Amino acid sequence: MGFSIEVSGMDELMKKMDKLGEKAQGIASVALFEGARVVADKASEAVQGIATSPFKYAANGEKRKPSPEEKAILTQARHGVAKFNKGISRVDTSVGFQNSGYGAITWNHARTNTRTKYKVNDKGKARHASMGGGTSSKPVPLIANAINSGTSFMEKQPFLRKAFSGSKGAATAAIENKLNEQIENLSLD
Amino acid sequence: MPTEYENLVTAMKALTQGEEPDTVTLPVAENDWRTRPDTESYGIIALDYEADALHGDNLKQAEAYEGSMDLYSKAKDGAGWIPLIKSTLTEYCEGAWSLNYHGNERESGLFHWEWVFQVEE
Repeated sequence: MGFSIEVSGMDELMKKMDKLGEKAQGIASVALFEGARVVADKASEAVQGIATSPFKYAANGEKRKPSPEEKAILTQARHGVAKFNKGISRVDTSVGFQNSGYGAITWNHARTNTRTKYKVNDKGKARHASMGGGTSSKPVPLIANAINSGTSFMEKQPFLRKAFSGSKGAATAAIENKLNEQIENLSLD
Repeated sequence: MPTEYENLVTAMKALTQGEEPDTVTLPVAENDWRTRPDTESYGIIALDYEADALHGDNLKQAEAYEGSMDLYSKAKDGAGWIPLIKSTLTEYCEGAWSLNYHGNERESGLFHWEWVFQVEE
């Protein structure tokens, strides 16, 4: 017993498959950005939810919450989607805090005890605390990690882990939708 | 509280190494220590949040929770507790765990490992 199947639009599909090969990396990048943006937005929201308490020197092994100033540093710091890495067979990126630019460096509460806007450096010159180097500075990702994973003196608040975990489904859907949209709109010229 | 998690907490709190009568127990607190214990190594276990859920028939049918196990140690190699924690996680969470963070605190001199795991309700 025989049967036949009629498929329409096969020529168009084949042409699109050819085109897709040429443009795959660009299409993947655009789609990946849509997904990464969802995750980055969720991470930004999560920063707002960090619980704080007035800064207190963490002495005698006591635990503390991040200070409002530390939360403000994270809020103002550059965070979002990193530059894309394009390889032969893959495109990838990451979402998180960038260790450069505005808000990248802060002063070290644990060592200074009192918060000062200006500090005197080794040469006796007063400099803005955020311009400090060496032991008086802390990169933004380090503050983010200290809050996200906790330390021996800071309570853990896994805000990034929760944001990444909670946005997986939405990010995957955003990537899928953008991929479908772009493949659908592929020009056959 | 998921039973899997309760069993995991009990197992982590019972971690020991060394031969009798010189056995050493890892001090493990659930959620957090009020103040840092004065020991070479200590642990913290916590259930952090609901990571996933399966819905059906207008009801929540299954839930997965994400938690974490932290080890703080003055020893760079974790004073022998790392393989014991890993095998306990494997025993109670099967493959649903991974090392999420490892670092060194300059202020306290402690090394910190954070493993993230998932358990089901």
